[in-house]
Amino acid sequence: MSPRPSIDHIRRPQILAAAAEVIAERGVAATRIADVAERCGVSPPAVLYWFDSKEKLLAEALTADDDRFYEELGERLAGEVTPRERMIALIEVAAADADFALWMELWTWALRDADLRAARERFDSRWRATIEAVVADGIAAGEFGAGVGAEVDSAQAALAIAALLDGLTVQAALGDPEVSVARITETVLVSVGRLLEADLPARAGGRASP
Amino acid sequence: MADRDARERILEAACDLIAAEGIDDVRIARVAMRARASTALVHHYFSTREELLEQAILHSFETVGEERFAETGGEAPNATAALAEAIEECLPRPGHLERDWVLWVELWLRAAREPDFRPLAATLYGRYHEWLEEVLKRGIESGEFEAPADVAALTDRTMALLDGLGVRALLHDPTMDIDAARAQVADFIAPQLGIDPSALLTQPA
Repeated sequence: MSPRPSIDHIRRPQILAAAAEVIAERGVAATRIADVAERCGVSPPAVLYWFDSKEKLLAEALTADDDRFYEELGERLAGEVTPRERMIALIEVAAADADFALWMELWTWALRDADLRAARERFDSRWRATIEAVVADGIAAGEFGAGVGAEVDSAQAALAIAALLDGLTVQAALGDPEVSVARITETVLVSVGRLLEADLPARAGGRASP
Repeated sequence: MADRDARERILEAACDLIAAEGIDDVRIARVAMRARASTALVHHYFSTREELLEQAILHSFETVGEERFAETGGEAPNATAALAEAIEECLPRPGHLERDWVLWVELWLRAAREPDFRPLAATLYGRYHEWLEEVLKRGIESGEFEAPADVAALTDRTMALLDGLGVRALLHDPTMDIDAARAQVADFIAPQLGIDPSALLTQPA
């Protein structure tokens, strides 16, 4: 077998990026391998060389998107000193994450495809663990859960935060698109502030929670 | 009578197929087969595939939704019990009304991308919101709940939490524990209504 041509290491990410674009525009159901091929200027067999099926392509496109998100998030969090500031940053980055259409696609497919269901669980675990780490740091630092209420369970808090973000994303998708990011950010900050018994005002405008 | 039965069989068949295969894959011929009807009969009641899909989703929402919503409206002894019931209804145990939940969630998620589904999705979601807000208002009026600053916003936030937890439960997320999820919603909403979270748990967590 001849050694792989060096161009292959470029192709796979290009194909994934093209797939993510096409899927985000049209949805998985309406995306054909040929569409993806056309978008990145390769032949359909070339796409299939790397990805056996559309479902695999979706899972991989999401993985690439996920990795990009964590890179961005990591950079942002590195610039914040306290757990409280990291929580605010985390919520802002999550709320602003543009590709929710792609992710909501995953939810519908996970309803029916076992591999995508497993992929969703992996992505979700990673996300909730990320949130949980910030919550746990905040509790340890006395910034969260400092009230008289029952002790905050960081895993449960992370689940609630992730769930809230998802649910608000659905609302934004069904409602007025103009209201989305800023409203989601503020709403989550207020709710998470209550959940963690901390003051988490939105940075821009700096309004304290009521 | 036979007419109503046939129409309903067709709608039920469409609901089953939407839940099992997704909105995109539903075909009139398969709905007809499942409903033990002819495609001509399906076309008699529903001139297009889109109309069939819309009516099926509405059928699901209305039949099941009203049953559920009516329970929490009229029959609960007080608003606190009604709210507890509402939380339980919105976080169903696996298998309970699962087909219908899958259908509604699928609709809401699909509408995010497809403008054609958005009016129906927004309408049904709006009705769901109205129902929950009524439960809260009932309690505020009866004095059981303290009035939060913004009832509509509290309803939205609670629904968001319920949806986010609910979808995970629907996907049989192994880390999801229905009782813990319900307790979480209770912990979330109770303080904003000035009541104890345990009052909203119909069963011990």
